[in-house]
Amino acid sequence: MWAVIKKEFKSYFYSPIGYVFIGLFLIMFSIFFYTDVFTYQTTNFEYIFYSGATVLTFIVPILTMRTIAEERKTGTEQLLLTSPLSITKIVLGKFIAATSIVIITILCTFLYFGILCFFGVPHITTALVTMLGFLLLAISYISFGILASSITENQIIAGVITIGFFILIWFLPRFSTIFTNFSLINMFSKFPTGQIDIADTVTFIAFTIACLLLTIIFMQRRKSVR
Amino acid sequence: MIEVKNVTKKYGKFVAVDNISFTINEGEIVGLLGPNGAGKSTTMNMITGFIEQTQGEIIVDGYDILKKPKKAKKEIGYMPEGVPLYTDLTVKEFINYMAEIKQIDKKTKKEKVQKIIEETGLKDVEKKLIKNLSRGYKQRVSMAGALVGEPKILILDEPTVGLDPKQITEIRNLIKELGKTHTVILSSHILSEVSQICNKVIIINKGKIVAIDTPENLENKVTSNNCVYVTVEDPESKMKEATEKIKDIQKIELASENEDGTKQYIIEAKGNIDLRKTIFSELAKENITIFEMKKADSTLEDAFMKLIEGGNQ
Repeated sequence: MWAVIKKEFKSYFYSPIGYVFIGLFLIMFSIFFYTDVFTYQTTNFEYIFYSGATVLTFIVPILTMRTIAEERKTGTEQLLLTSPLSITKIVLGKFIAATSIVIITILCTFLYFGILCFFGVPHITTALVTMLGFLLLAISYISFGILASSITENQIIAGVITIGFFILIWFLPRFSTIFTNFSLINMFSKFPTGQIDIADTVTFIAFTIACLLLTIIFMQRRKSVR
Repeated sequence: MIEVKNVTKKYGKFVAVDNISFTINEGEIVGLLGPNGAGKSTTMNMITGFIEQTQGEIIVDGYDILKKPKKAKKEIGYMPEGVPLYTDLTVKEFINYMAEIKQIDKKTKKEKVQKIIEETGLKDVEKKLIKNLSRGYKQRVSMAGALVGEPKILILDEPTVGLDPKQITEIRNLIKELGKTHTVILSSHILSEVSQICNKVIIINKGKIVAIDTPENLENKVTSNNCVYVTVEDPESKMKEATEKIKDIQKIELASENEDGTKQYIIEAKGNIDLRKTIFSELAKENITIFEMKKADSTLEDAFMKLIEGGNQ
């Protein structure tokens, strides 16, 4: 599995995808940082992540849409699937590689935290809890993105399905409060208060596991229908 | 080494591979032959565990490919059709990656990768990105990817497609060389290739096995008729008369009329006799000039066509 993680991670930076993801996020983050901190004169680092989460909705597909779809299209999945590696390890490897890009991005935001320290005394635990929530949201998004990538060999379609789904669950609570608990972004929005919501944490992790399991099942099933 | 027992693969109602069984022994170089869409790739994909058969059993080196995939897959080096490669990687990175996913011991990995790069003649391009390589080199990289991990079995799906004649000869020689230490299965629709490299041929058509034999035996099977091609200049149209005098002729057929006025006939003899001498002397008596005369060699090509046509009827 280590081999897959390493290769996937590297290929994010062989192609512009990794740079585009991190770059786009940091540009948006900087804008939010500027408006929130300088315009409103606060040192609430965590609130910038609110806006950051919406950006994540649109850029996670960049990271995930090619993961499995591209292998299918170019036929390289034949190399992977005829190797002694199990499908579980392949999927996990790709998931961990994508997650590590997000972790790098989150680490980059510490720079902004450092800037804040010059101006005031930001709350470090709240910031860390927010980052944890942000990471949980990210892994849920990534796992869904990988699932979408596994059902088609067209990257664009995988990307559109992913964004479509994210936007759908984002806006669903506006139609009916029943959907409030289905909205991943809503769940994340509790974290910037500085409290780790156990129920939401479990939901994020369960959602991630469910998506990854479905991906594995889809890939396994394709063996007999391919 | 490989046992395929009553294997069937269906896609809905379409039967891609229909109840085939064969055994491949250690050290054999086996050619899977058939027209496009015959089920060669499907068969290979099933042996490698890339797809699952609908029915039947495939045993690779003693392990069932579905029940013990990890162990079975370790013994197989597969070069898929159309040489899929990670084009963003360099040659060395790719082979390294293949070595890693095949779970080669870390201590010996570096050395083994280097050895394979040298064996497949990729030393000069090892630092180049795969996307910048020519087709021939890509084929080699794919071959190197299959070879890494010292598998006992090599499965090569159309290894020479899209190569120029020089590259084809090189790849063939490489396969022959590899055949000394590996069990090799290769698929092809080029017959001469199979007869040159392989010591066993499995002919597949429409998902069914038509024949399993050595290339020599297959050729012998169809060399019953003795045919001679004769090109003559026959201004007085005496060809018919002349040939009627030869009793051993079973059939005479006008094959083509050439622009320069000569005609080509195919003359088939009764039994296994060489007609060329008699034809020469008889035609000379009738003042028919022979431009060209040759014995039609029955080739694997004929065997193949006959078997395929037999299967279609």
